[in-house]
Amino acid sequence: MLAFLVRRLLSLPLVLLALSLAIVGLLQFLTPEQRAVAFVQNEQQLRNLDKVIREKGLDQPFWVQYGSWLKEALRGNLGFSKASNKPVVDTIKERFPATLELALFASVPIILVGVWLGTLAALRKDTWLDQAARVFVVVAYNVPTFVMGILLLVIFYGFLGLAPGPGQLSPENQIELILNPIPRRTGMLSVDALLAGNWKVFWDVLHHLILPVATLTTVSSATLLKVTRSSMLEVLSQDYIRTARAKGLPDRVVNLKHARRNALLPVITLASFTVMGLLSGAVITETIFAYPGIGSWGAQAATLFDVPGIMGFALLTAVITVLVNLVTDILYALVDPRVRYD
Amino acid sequence: MKGAALGALVLAMGLAWAAVPTNTLLYMESADIPTLDPGATYDTASGALVENIYETLVTYKGKSVSELQGLLATSWTISGDGKVYTFTLRKGVKFHSGNPFTCEDAEYTFRRNLVTNSPESGNWFLAESLLGTSANAADDPSITWNRIARAVQCDREGRLVFTLPKPDPAFLAKLAFAGQSIVDKKWAISLGEWDGTEKTWKSWVGKDLTDSELSKKPSGTGAYRLARRDANTVVLTAFPEYWGGKPKIENVIFQIVKEQATRIEALKKGDADAVETGPRPVLAQLQGVPGLKIMDDIPNNTATAIFMNQKIGNPEYLGSGKLDGKGIPANFFADVNVRKAFNYAFDYDRYIKEVLQGKGVKRTMLLPETFFGYDPTLPTYTYDPQKATAYFKRAFGGKLWETGFVLKATYRAGAQAAQTAMEILKANVEKLNPKFRVELVAKPWSDLLKESRTGGVPMIIIGWAPDYADPDNFLYTFYHSQGYYHPRSNCSDPVLDKLLDQARQTTDREKRKVLYRQVGLRAYEVACYINVPAGLGFIVYNEKLKGVEENFNPMFSNYFGTYFRNLSK
Repeated sequence: MLAFLVRRLLSLPLVLLALSLAIVGLLQFLTPEQRAVAFVQNEQQLRNLDKVIREKGLDQPFWVQYGSWLKEALRGNLGFSKASNKPVVDTIKERFPATLELALFASVPIILVGVWLGTLAALRKDTWLDQAARVFVVVAYNVPTFVMGILLLVIFYGFLGLAPGPGQLSPENQIELILNPIPRRTGMLSVDALLAGNWKVFWDVLHHLILPVATLTTVSSATLLKVTRSSMLEVLSQDYIRTARAKGLPDRVVNLKHARRNALLPVITLASFTVMGLLSGAVITETIFAYPGIGSWGAQAATLFDVPGIMGFALLTAVITVLVNLVTDILYALVDPRVRYD
Repeated sequence: MKGAALGALVLAMGLAWAAVPTNTLLYMESADIPTLDPGATYDTASGALVENIYETLVTYKGKSVSELQGLLATSWTISGDGKVYTFTLRKGVKFHSGNPFTCEDAEYTFRRNLVTNSPESGNWFLAESLLGTSANAADDPSITWNRIARAVQCDREGRLVFTLPKPDPAFLAKLAFAGQSIVDKKWAISLGEWDGTEKTWKSWVGKDLTDSELSKKPSGTGAYRLARRDANTVVLTAFPEYWGGKPKIENVIFQIVKEQATRIEALKKGDADAVETGPRPVLAQLQGVPGLKIMDDIPNNTATAIFMNQKIGNPEYLGSGKLDGKGIPANFFADVNVRKAFNYAFDYDRYIKEVLQGKGVKRTMLLPETFFGYDPTLPTYTYDPQKATAYFKRAFGGKLWETGFVLKATYRAGAQAAQTAMEILKANVEKLNPKFRVELVAKPWSDLLKESRTGGVPMIIIGWAPDYADPDNFLYTFYHSQGYYHPRSNCSDPVLDKLLDQARQTTDREKRKVLYRQVGLRAYEVACYINVPAGLGFIVYNEKLKGVEENFNPMFSNYFGTYFRNLSK
């Protein structure tokens, strides 16, 4: 197991190198002018576009551009992101905790709703509950995230006023934080507020998380629900389940211990994809709710052809992917005794 | 699940979300804020904050875009030859750092702008006035330290003296630009910015100040100082030692909210005092919403034109490249009859009705009507198919009417107004003669930039927003053969050049007015451009906010058109 872990972790730098090379390579398809536009906000600034290109070395050959990027990257400097108007490393430091916070808060309901409702729907196949779950899946699965997000925003914030508006904090608490700053130990605002004992800010952050979390839960739990349900149904029709029932084991034990544990295998894979997606920033949800995570930054970097930004975002996503995959494989070994990594 | 549970909890607690506190101004916009260093400020998002954190020597008087008054300067004199400006500076002014404001700060500021003059900044037009070239020392080796130091210096009485190589009637207006705000010399040097000496100036030439240390830790003399800045918010608080007294609004919050639907909801709920609303169609959603005030019919301070390139550089757009009905020659628009025909083929009223929803004005020249020098009495083109036909028949000695043409006109992909304008033109031109064809090509902005900068495209629609409130900034840009837009239009007319050069050399306002009137008349005759009608602007804000209408000036970068210190709730 340890050897496996080390092997996997050693492959990470190689993955990152290949990925950065691929991105710089792909960006060569853009003209220097197209990449220089990231540095221009208005018509007036175009008068000096050629100077910008020269200064930023955008007209240099491929290997020169990549070489200088790599040299700096190895020193821990990933360049300056035009999309955030900050160095890439600072941007990630500033925004990743917010994304992590959102991911943590969203993973729980997503997995709960998906797995719990999926199991229940399978056990009560063809009852009203199963039908309702199926309708939910069809709707949630087919409504795009941005429609769902805006719909929830308009209904719960606009009409009903049950949830607060965009951002992480209401105005009075933004001012509160200036007058009484709280130490940012984790970068996650809710956790920091809790550690500082500032309940007002803590509740405000939680309130502001309701709608983004609800959006992510609705959209992401549907797939999870679908897979849990079908995998559960498949397992329930297996011979060993009938054997277990024949032995006179109580339903609860059969369903949850014998059946669900086996049904969870495909669900783990899917859940890990979901978590991966959340950690790489929920691009659309973050944009709609003006949530300061890395997703909205990545989207912005892409639209601006912000090369260091795109690189930073992609590398971060790659690191997350490799690590989440690793955790998934370990989970597999724990759930399925047949899996061994020697 | 959890979300629903929390929602129920909130419902049970009966919480109402509080609106913005009365001592706070909250604005939501989609644009990020690139910099808080005046030396790199050249976009409205940065300008909106810079103009409130720092101060310029002069500023616009009330709502006027043609009259200026002192801000950090209390008075000034201009020498008889128009080359020496001497500013008496305000006393008893403090920077946010606590340092007193002196002439040295002003001297340092302008020298820093001339030394760095980075390609992203607006300092090219300061350099044009003070050094006679828009370049920095890296591009123009003739720029020496001596030239920079001589151009701006403090005299013994502590007054700031500018010495220009030749008169520039627009110089004062240039000083009102947010990018020419005064920075705190001692503070900037302590942060590691340029030390202001001859010894080090060379290493700062062309330096991009966008992400400077000063941008991260600004110190100005403005009524507000930076309190906090994170991924999506910038918070300013009132500066208690501001020389003009304490403002009523104590906190200003700028929140970046990219999604328009979200911003509109927040505005309706009163969670934002104002938001970037986007174009006019959005107004329908906001009319009649309780608690909102709409200020409409705001004069437009930009000018937009359809360019007719007289020397098309990219053969890709020419089809056959000949007058044979399968394309156009590179000099297609060099014939004034073609340009006039197109001018008569554009339906101005329909554009105002369909694109601007009835809120627009026809322009006699490519200059905002609020600017000094604009003459509303000059003739304009109208939609007139008969006249258009007559001019097409005259073009190229009558040959064009016989053969017809295929013209490729470009517009920026996704730019709805530009697309509609081109569609109107296409429909009207094709109606005149079955052999006339106009093909519309949508291009991404970056491609269009490259091609139009080098004069590659035959026809394109572009606008210009003012750097400073002087007619020269528009008229020279569009009509002079050295103007910024010349490569895109190749509009070269010796008469226009002469008039514009004369106007640049004259400091007498009345004389300039006459000259600009002649520019307008001549521009009508040579018909280099189709003047696109200008849409009137509007702003929507919370009715509790006072001080917007009586102060609104379109030259300000921020949404409210005035300093935040003039607002209250």
